[in-house]
Amino acid sequence: MDYFKKVFKESIFIVIISSFMGLLSGIFLSINEKIIYAIPIILLILPSLNSLIGDICTVLTSRLTTHLYIGSIPPKVQKSERLVQDFIGLLITILLSLLVLIILGFIIVISTGINIISPFLILFIIILTILSLFFCLFIFLFISSIYLFKKGKDPNNLLIPFVTSLADFLTPLLLITFIIIFI
Amino acid sequence: MESQDTKGKIVQETFPSEIVSIIGDILAGLILTLILLTFKSFLILIIIIPALLSLRGNLSGPFIARTSKDLIIGEFNSKSWIENVLSTYALSIVTACLIGIFSIMLDLFLIKKFIDKKIISMETLIIIPIIAILLTLSISIPTSTFLNYLAFRYGFNPNNVVNPIMTAVDDFFTVICFYFTLLMLGVP
Repeated sequence: MDYFKKVFKESIFIVIISSFMGLLSGIFLSINEKIIYAIPIILLILPSLNSLIGDICTVLTSRLTTHLYIGSIPPKVQKSERLVQDFIGLLITILLSLLVLIILGFIIVISTGINIISPFLILFIIILTILSLFFCLFIFLFISSIYLFKKGKDPNNLLIPFVTSLADFLTPLLLITFIIIFI
Repeated sequence: MESQDTKGKIVQETFPSEIVSIIGDILAGLILTLILLTFKSFLILIIIIPALLSLRGNLSGPFIARTSKDLIIGEFNSKSWIENVLSTYALSIVTACLIGIFSIMLDLFLIKKFIDKKIISMETLIIIPIIAILLTLSISIPTSTFLNYLAFRYGFNPNNVVNPIMTAVDDFFTVICFYFTLLMLGVP
C-alpha cells in the first residue's frame, strides 16, 4: 500500500485547501450575482473559461512532471528549448480554444436574443483575463514543479488540485474586477 | 514521447480535446442552470456546485496524470492502478464530507434559511456531496483509464489528450449525478 499512502499523504492537505477554495468561489459568485446576470455571456461561458484555464494548467503540470521524471527538463529554474516549445504550444492552444469558446458563446447569446453590452469590451476583458492567468500560472507552475520535484514529491498530486481550484477562483475574480474597472 | 513533442504536436493533440471540453462545459452549464433553478434550496445548492465541479481538478485530474505518468515511465501495473483508485476514492470521501460540513456552517451562520426552516437537513447536506462524488468517480475512473490506455497504445501523449476530454466528461456527469442524488434524497 505504499503507492496509496504516498498519494493520500501528498494529496490530502491540498485537496482540503482546494475544496475550501471551490466553496469560496461559490460564495463569491453568489455575492456578485447581479453583475454576472447583467452581462449574461459571462455567466454562460464562465464554466468553460474555468475549465479552459484549468485544463491547460493540468496539461502543463502533467507535462512538466513527466519532463522532470524522464530528465528532458533539468530540475533548475532556467530557460530551455523544451520549456519554450511547451509554452508556445499551450499558448497557441489556449488562443484557439478561446476563439472557439467566444464564437460558441456569441452564437448562443444571439440565438437566445440576449443583448450584449459593449461586445468588443467584453471580448477584450475575456482575453485579458485568460492571458493574464495563463502567464502568471505558467511561471508559478514551472517554479513550483521544480521545487516539489527536488523535495522528492510528485508535483501532479499537489499542483493539479491546487492550480485548478485557484483558476476556478481567480477566473471569476479577475473577470468581475476587470468588468468593474472597464465597464 | 514527452521529450519529443513539438509545439505543433502539443496544439494538434490538445486543441481537439479542448474543443470537446468547451462544448461539454457549455452543455453542463446549460443543464445545471435549467436543473438547479427548479429547486427550492437553490441558494445552498449553488454554493455546493462549484466545489463539486472542482473535483475534476482535485481528484480526477491528478488520477489521470498519475496514470499517464505511470504509462509513460513504464510503471503502470494492476497493483499501482488499484492503489491509485483506492486513494482517489478515500480522498473523495474526505473532500465530500468537508464540502457538506462547510455548507452546513454557511447555512447556519451566513444564509440562515434552509436548516432552520427544515427545508433541508444537516444529514442531507453531508450525504449529497458524498453520493454525487462517488457516482461521478465511478464513471470517471474507468473512462479515464480506458482513454489513457487507448491514447498511449495509439501513440498519442495521454497528458495532452485525456485531461481536456475528461474535464467535459467529469463536469457533465457531475451535474447529472448531482441531479440524481437530489432526486434520490428527495431534496426540495
